[in-house]
Amino acid sequence: MKALAKPSAAVSGKTGWKYKVRSFFLYVKRHPAMYLMLVPGLFFMIIYKFVPLYGILIAFKDYNIFLGNNPIDAIAQSDWVGLKHFHRLFSSSQFMKVLSNTLIINGLKIVWLFPIPIICAILLNEIRKVTFRKFAQTAIYMPYFFSWVVIFGIFYSLFGSYGTVNTVITALGGSRIGFFTDTKVFRSVLVFTEGWKEIGYNTVIYLAAITGIDMTLYEAARVDGAGKLRQIWHITMPGLLPTIVLMLILKVGHILETGFEQVLVFYNPGVYDVADIIQTYVYRLGMGQMDFPLSTALGLFNSVVAFILIVGANAVSRKLLGRSIW
Amino acid sequence: MEKIKENISHHRKSVFAGRGMPASTGEKCMSIFAYTVMGLFSLIAILPCLHVISKAISNGPDVTAGNIYFWPVGFQLETVFYVLTKTAFPTALKNSLIVTGFGTVISMITTITTAYPLSKPEFKGRKVITLLYVISMVFFGGMIPAYMVVRSLGLLDTYAACILPFAIVQFNMFIVKNYFESLPESIEESARVDGAGDLRILVSIVCPMSKPVIATVSLLYAINYWNNYFHAMMYTKSPNMNTLQVYLYNIISNSQDFVENLASGNFMINITSEGMVAAAVTLSLIPMIILYPFVSKFMIQGITIGSVKG
Repeated sequence: MKALAKPSAAVSGKTGWKYKVRSFFLYVKRHPAMYLMLVPGLFFMIIYKFVPLYGILIAFKDYNIFLGNNPIDAIAQSDWVGLKHFHRLFSSSQFMKVLSNTLIINGLKIVWLFPIPIICAILLNEIRKVTFRKFAQTAIYMPYFFSWVVIFGIFYSLFGSYGTVNTVITALGGSRIGFFTDTKVFRSVLVFTEGWKEIGYNTVIYLAAITGIDMTLYEAARVDGAGKLRQIWHITMPGLLPTIVLMLILKVGHILETGFEQVLVFYNPGVYDVADIIQTYVYRLGMGQMDFPLSTALGLFNSVVAFILIVGANAVSRKLLGRSIW
Repeated sequence: MEKIKENISHHRKSVFAGRGMPASTGEKCMSIFAYTVMGLFSLIAILPCLHVISKAISNGPDVTAGNIYFWPVGFQLETVFYVLTKTAFPTALKNSLIVTGFGTVISMITTITTAYPLSKPEFKGRKVITLLYVISMVFFGGMIPAYMVVRSLGLLDTYAACILPFAIVQFNMFIVKNYFESLPESIEESARVDGAGDLRILVSIVCPMSKPVIATVSLLYAINYWNNYFHAMMYTKSPNMNTLQVYLYNIISNSQDFVENLASGNFMINITSEGMVAAAVTLSLIPMIILYPFVSKFMIQGITIGSVKG
């Protein structure tokens, strides 16, 4: 664009910004509809995305929601207190607990669940019977479209204290397992249900990447006498590697942000010790205890660290794969 | 003759033994392994759904006794009808349909009208506006500030609270924008020569050419609205504003509504609180299962469209 614009500016003898302003108004005059079209989107974005950014000030004030005309006006009316709420936050024992819970739960999910969709995609690709392949793909992809509440309903019916699994366990002479109440088991439930919901979706992503691999490579390998395992190891895996790296970077980049709705729906006071993550704690601090400044401070801490992680992930992705995440 | 043939075949076998044979046994093992593992995964995906559906239509006493595994014991639809007529389920369903319907339409209009100008390289101000959307995607005010905005606007407990904050999802907007950029310029150009305005071109030329991406993104929005639990729960408090997800969560975590319903006298042998929860969950799955073939087809397209740029 710049390269195009500059010579024409020189030709017409107009200098930089004057020319730019004139051509801008000329364009606006000729295409008013283009600017009108932007209005709804900008309207929603400013009100619901940028005004909340102003609301971050709550973390630095002794916020009193009843000052002023409305809760947003109250932000301006409240007194500045500097970093007081951050001192409160970092000195509380809860903070370290929810931070480590967030990292542990999402870390466990990555360790246990990350390789499965890759394996599934490779295996699905090996299945020659089209009907079976379609069936399996459909079956494992379906739970992705269920909400966490519905998944909670389904698994509560199966794994609840008096659910099907416990009925079987007691019938076999064992003692009931509190899948939703035992602090030792609860994280496994989170990991398992996360896998149940997400594996199919990720499998489809890897399948799409596999279809992009040049088929002639397999034929050449077969002629050279390479077996199935060798073909997978030397052709499919290298073909998938960029996608694998990208997905891993994304997962690590979002480690502070994922899993909120799942935990919010699945947990209960009995397992707060092992399940309370940053965002559920933000929610309870704010909406439960009405400690808006502390909640906002924790939310801000989370956003800032998450932002750094994602920008870092993007830098890694650019360096390793030569492409940006967004 | 026979011997020669045998010899040849023997010979061929021995020739292939060095290279081909391991491949073929390996292939067989691989194939068996693939079928077994994927069969197992499919079962794990399907059985829980079968369980909850079975529970919804099995005989009441068997549900209470915990006799339902993955197939119905007996058959009755009383529970389903009871949930549909005697509980707050229809209200919640209505709320969810309203939020999903209006939400998807509003989102699509906003998304398309934003994506179109931003897809034109000659559009003045394109860089600034695009940057604004990228910034709003990366910086997030947080839960409490967002709540304060909705509260200040007096939107708490309205449908608008469940729709407007999510009216434009930046990621979806960028998918549509990328798709618009890939369309050939020539058709639009000829319409422009014929005197059609920008809006006209968008509505009658660009949109019809973009059916796949519009379908995909509409489904993304619809699923978002339909499945949204947290925001609906946070922004609506009164029971008659509950969306389906909020209502389901409430009855699963304490089946109070149902227990009261059952205590109020109209006792029926087949209607159990567990069965009713299962029926409500099953009913809420039906739209998803009906839409699933379209959804999965378009979502796979969406993944491919989205991954064009990465």
